[in-house]
Parts: sequence; C-alpha cells; structure tokens
Amino acid sequence: MSSETGKILTTDGIPLEESLKQSEKKNKIKAFLLVAPLLLFLIITYMIPIGDMFSRSIDDKMVTNMLPKTYKAMENWDGKELPPEEVFEAFYLDYKILVKNKTAGKLQTQLNYEKNGFKSVLKKLARKQKKFEEGNYKEQIMKVHKRWRNVEYWRAIKRRAPSYTYSKYLKGIDMYSNEDGKIVQVSEDRRIHRILWIRTVEVAFFVTLFCFLMAYPIAHLLATLPMKYSNLLMICVLLPFWTSLLVRTASWMILLQQQGIVNDFFVWIGLVADDNRPEMMYNKTGTYVAMTQILLPFMVLPLYSVMKTISPSLMRAGKSLGATPATAFFKVYFPLTIPGIGAGCLLVFILAIGYYITPALVGGASGTLISNQIAYHMKSTLDWSFASAMGLMLLTGVLVIYWIYNKLVGVDNIKLG
Amino acid sequence: MRKLSKLLLALTFAVSVSTSAFAVVVASWGGAYTESQKLGYGDPTSKALGVPIEWVDYSGGLSEIKAQIEAGAITWDIIDVFAYDTINGCDEGIFVEFDFDKDFPPAPDGTPASEDFFTDMPSKCAVGNILYSWNYAYNSDLLKSTPSTLKDFFNTSRFPGKRAIYKSALTNLEIALAADGVKMGKGGEFIYKKLEEPGYVDRAMNKIKALCEDPNGGCVFWSAGAQPPELLMSGEVVMATGWNGRFFNAAVGEGAPIVQVWDGQGLDYEYFALVKGGPNQEDAMKALAMMTSTEMLAGSAKYIAYAPWRKSSIAVMQAGEPWYKDGKTNMVPHMPTAPANLKRYFLVDAEYWADNGTELGEKWEAMKASIK
Repeated sequence: MSSETGKILTTDGIPLEESLKQSEKKNKIKAFLLVAPLLLFLIITYMIPIGDMFSRSIDDKMVTNMLPKTYKAMENWDGKELPPEEVFEAFYLDYKILVKNKTAGKLQTQLNYEKNGFKSVLKKLARKQKKFEEGNYKEQIMKVHKRWRNVEYWRAIKRRAPSYTYSKYLKGIDMYSNEDGKIVQVSEDRRIHRILWIRTVEVAFFVTLFCFLMAYPIAHLLATLPMKYSNLLMICVLLPFWTSLLVRTASWMILLQQQGIVNDFFVWIGLVADDNRPEMMYNKTGTYVAMTQILLPFMVLPLYSVMKTISPSLMRAGKSLGATPATAFFKVYFPLTIPGIGAGCLLVFILAIGYYITPALVGGASGTLISNQIAYHMKSTLDWSFASAMGLMLLTGVLVIYWIYNKLVGVDNIKLG
Repeated sequence: MRKLSKLLLALTFAVSVSTSAFAVVVASWGGAYTESQKLGYGDPTSKALGVPIEWVDYSGGLSEIKAQIEAGAITWDIIDVFAYDTINGCDEGIFVEFDFDKDFPPAPDGTPASEDFFTDMPSKCAVGNILYSWNYAYNSDLLKSTPSTLKDFFNTSRFPGKRAIYKSALTNLEIALAADGVKMGKGGEFIYKKLEEPGYVDRAMNKIKALCEDPNGGCVFWSAGAQPPELLMSGEVVMATGWNGRFFNAAVGEGAPIVQVWDGQGLDYEYFALVKGGPNQEDAMKALAMMTSTEMLAGSAKYIAYAPWRKSSIAVMQAGEPWYKDGKTNMVPHMPTAPANLKRYFLVDAEYWADNGTELGEKWEAMKASIK
C-alpha cells in the first residue's frame, strides 16, 4: 500500500493537510499584514532611534580615524610624562591633513569634550602650523601654547584612541578611566551628575507620592458622586490639563513667590509678618507644588477609571459582615484599586523623571535635573554621544523601576480602565 | 488611480503653498525680538529683493539644524544664533564661511564692512545683527539709595534684598570677579586672563555663593529673558541682572520703576549664520547682505533697545531721533554702545566659553547644589 492512498484529499485533489496549512498560512499573513503597520511604526519610531542612540553613545571611530598616525605612535607611550618627539610629529602630520581638508573643527569639538580648553589651542595650532619648520616638532608645538606642555592634554587625546568606548557612561556617573586604565572619580568640584541623578529620582518620587495622596480622594469622589456633580468635577480636573504647561508654571510663580498672591493673603490675615514671608518658590517646594499640579490628571484618570468599575455593594457587604469602615476600606476597596494606583504611579513617575522646563523655572538653585543636562548637551555643546548615553541611562533606570514594579505587583495588574 | 493622482497633485500643491519653496527661511527667537527684525529689516529687504522672507521661531541651540542636516532635509537658510553657537557650528561645518568685505556692503561713507563692525567676529561664519547688554537693573521703589556700580550689586548691607542672576555661569563669573576688585581692562581682557589662572574661577564662584547665602541677600536664578523685569516689578528681588532690551521695554514701554545700571556691563552679540546647503542659499546670501547693511540694521532699533552691530548705523539713528517707534523717545542713549554706557564694560568672550563652558557648567552646578 503506498502512502498516497492513506491521505484524505479535498475535492480538488490536494491533500487536506496541505490545503489546511495553506489556508492557515494565508490567514497568518493576513493577520500579520494587519499588524504590520503598527510593527513598522514601532520599529521606525522606537527601536531604530534607541539603537541609534546606543551606537552613538559608544561609537568613537571618528577621532580614531582622524588621528591614525598619532595613535600608532602613542602605542608605546605610558602616559606618565610628556610624549616623545614621534608622537608630536605624528600629531602634527595628522592635524595638518585635517586642517587642509577643513575637518579640523570636528576634532577640536571632540577633543574639547574630553578636556576643556582644547578648542582654542587647536585653533591656534591650526593657524601656526603653516609656518612650522621641519624637525623638532615637540619644541614647535609646545611653543604655540603652554597647554601643550601639560601632559593632561596628551592623556586626553590618548583616551579617545579606541573605536568603541563606554567612557560617556562613566562620565554620566562622574567617573573616568585614567592613564593606568583604572576607573576613578573626576575631581571633586566637578562631581555633578550623581547629584543630579539623585535629585531627579527624588523629585520624581515625591511628586508621584504627592500626586497619589491628592488624586486618591479626588478619584474616589469622582467615582461615587452622582453624574451631574461628577461631570463638573471632571471638568475641573481636566481644565488645567488642557492649559499650556508654561502658563500653569508661570501662574504658580505669580501665586507662590515671596511677594506673590498667597503670601500677600497670609500677611493680610496676619498669619505671617510682612518682613518674614515664607519662601515657597525658587526652591524644591516650588518644584513639588508646580509639578504635582501639572501631573495630577495623569494620576486621577487611571484611578477614576478603575474605581468606577468597583461595585459599591462590595463595601456594603464587607460592612454587613462586621468590618469597620476602615477595615472594609483597606481589606476590600483598596486592594481593588491597586491596578489603577500602579498605572497612575508609573505614568506620573515616568513623566516626572523626564521633566525639565518646570523645575528650571520654579526650582531655583535646585532646579537643574538630569534632563536639563541632556538638553544642554543636545542643544549647546552638541555632544550628542554624551546626551545619548545619559538618555539611555535614564531609560534603563525607568526599565529597572518597571521591573521592580513587575516583581512586586505584577504588570498584568496595571489597568487604565 | 485618477483619484489618487488628483489627491497627490492637490497635496503637492498644498505643500508647496504652505512652505513656499522660494522663500528664504530665517529661524529666530520669536517674540518682540523677531518682530523687530521682521519690521526693521526683514520686510524692507523682502520688498527690495522681491524674495519672500519667512520667519520661524526656535528656542536656540544647534540641535535642530544638526538634525536637519543629518536627515538630509534642510529647511532653514539663516539662523539667528549666539556667539558660542557660531563657533561650534562653524567647526562642525554647519555654516558657510564669509569673506566679510566681499560678501557684505560697505558703510555709506565707503568704510569696508569689517571695519564697520563694533568688534571682530567670533568666527568666519558669523555676521552680527545686534549688540545687547548683560547689565543689571533695580526697582527704584524698593531701594532707599541709588546703586551705581557693579560693586553695589553685591553690597547687601547698603542694598538689602534678593538678587536675580542668570541660571548658568555665563557672565556671572565675569561680574563676580570685577565686583571683587579684579581690574576689567579694555573690553574685559584682564578678567578673561585671570579666569585662565588657577584659583580665579573658584574666587568668582565663592563670591556668587556668598551673595546667595547672605541673609541680607539671597538669589533667584532666572532662565527666561522675561523673568528679570517681572521679578523686579513684583518686588520679589530688588536687583536683577538681565538683558537691556527687556529692561528698556519694562521701563519705557510699560512705565515700570526700573532703572538700569550700565557700570561693568557685558556686551554680547547676536549673530546671523548662513546654513551650508540650505534650500535657497543664493537668495539667502543676498537677503543676509541687505539685512545687515547700515540702514536696515538701524531699522530694527526702532522697535527694540538693542544696538545695531555697525558703527555707521548709529549715525543714521542719531540723524533720525527720536528714533523709537513711539515717536518721542531718543534711542541712542539707550543703546549699550552709547559712550555714557561704555565707561566700564567687558565683551563676552565667546571663545573662552566655547573652550571652557562644559567644565565651568559642571563646577557652577556643583556650587549651586552646595548653597545653603
């Protein structure tokens, strides 16, 4: 008996198994085509930029390629004292080509990221090198500017030798790898990034906490009031949401500053003396107040949508079984709202951790957060690789928090409605 | 298919109308400043050349243009930038290098353009449009006596009350050193020499820190140009550093009790730069040359108290006083370049800041974080 005869055939003579496979395949393709635009969208707008950010943050081929002779000559230099004549000569030859090709500017910018003060001495060298005589380049280069006699600058060049580097990530936590290859801290008066990271997380944490404390009762009220009142209340919650962020920030400044409306009121009712007005603006208080108000709707809405689905009879049932109102609340109501709390807290925390305009305007001396630093390197210094590295560090931080949340509460417990 | 092609046609038409492919696109800061540029020289140039000039707002920095270049879709021809950005942009190859005397018209008396500038340009890619001042002002209703020097800004026993200062180190280090007794020298050259020496940056930072921690003083850090006059008017601070055009608007335009102090002012330029490979580079160059000519630049000073970068423009204003748009205010005395205001000043050294900005920024933030 041949195997052929054992197969069940469809009416057009194709084996059923194959025919089924075919139609399934068709359906699969159809299904895939339906989600393809979304997938493509995600890849183009999310995966590729993040991949690009990552490669930018570690890619250092440009400098490596600009100074090939220098890095070859530097291989035998231990970085302890000023490099020997060969290195100076190689650097002079490399740099001469860059000046000729008008790409020296890019090197100036890159080396200036590594060590400030490079830009002007390299520009000076670009002008002076045209009159250099052959031989004894060490002497001639060192004569151009006294910084060439400082070994720190040559170490900075050497640090840029590898094509790929994680130095930008180290810089993001105030570290660098020194001439012995050891990872050490930058000088004390320049350690700023760690302060900013801690400050950013602190601000985001407290804003989330305050948002939660304020939003919970509001959302509860919204969910339990009769429709005609709750609609009005909902508009009150949403109205600021529709107002520009800058307008709201500026309004808080007018309200809370020392000569502001709130303080005027306090003085008028005799709560504080006129010459002893409390400072509520241009410090952390200002940041917390303004950001909490701005982000409040993001907490209210998920909470509200979850609370709306909780039947009031559950609380009544708990109470009829002998629970006090407090017990019934904590044993019955509160656990049911956890999905909304999770969604709201994550939403507010993630938004808060990337905020920078509001803190910069109302935060005074403490108004600089890590995002300000990222924006500064994006816009002013154009050190996009450092900005990318810090951006990815921030993203990783958010993912870690998400992971912790998943471990503690479970992601499937998040509900937006 | 026909429907589709019609739709496409309509779309391309709509796109071409909305971006007007022939226009020269200038990115600037917006607000009253762009208004003064548009009314002062943008519109007249556009009329004279028959080339539409479109003004778009941006918030400074080079990230947008760099992104446009990397994406291969450049939409801006000219950008209004800080000195610092012209240096970085020139080094990165974003901007076109100028030959000043060839590319820009001479003054009416024949002086070549480069000699008509108030100072040298910070890079070959920059052509100045205005000179503005980082000076300070006080609220005359709140102070019993009148401050007149830079030292008075730091004198909290004679002038108690909070001060508003710029949020980053730029110009703050300079005024702190000058107020601490370091001689300025011509155009502030001594200050910058000293800042290169060890110890002087710390000295400047400590001076600021002392002011901020002083129970009679204290500081508010401002970040937007509109803040200093607003902080003064609300009484939040008694003195504030800021940009002279904003103080002028508050004092003359709105009649606020704000008085400017010019002693030790920091002169800074605002520049135009021409984007390499911009969509309309040829017309853009023509428009730029015309907009930065003597008459045209004087035009913008009708609307805002910033000085035109050409010396010859001042003469045009003098002959036309009262030059301010209200028809009764003489503009020349309000210019940062008026001789009475130039007794002691420093030119903000863009090269110094391009060189050291990042490190000083880190030190500055560390200092701010340590203020008690």
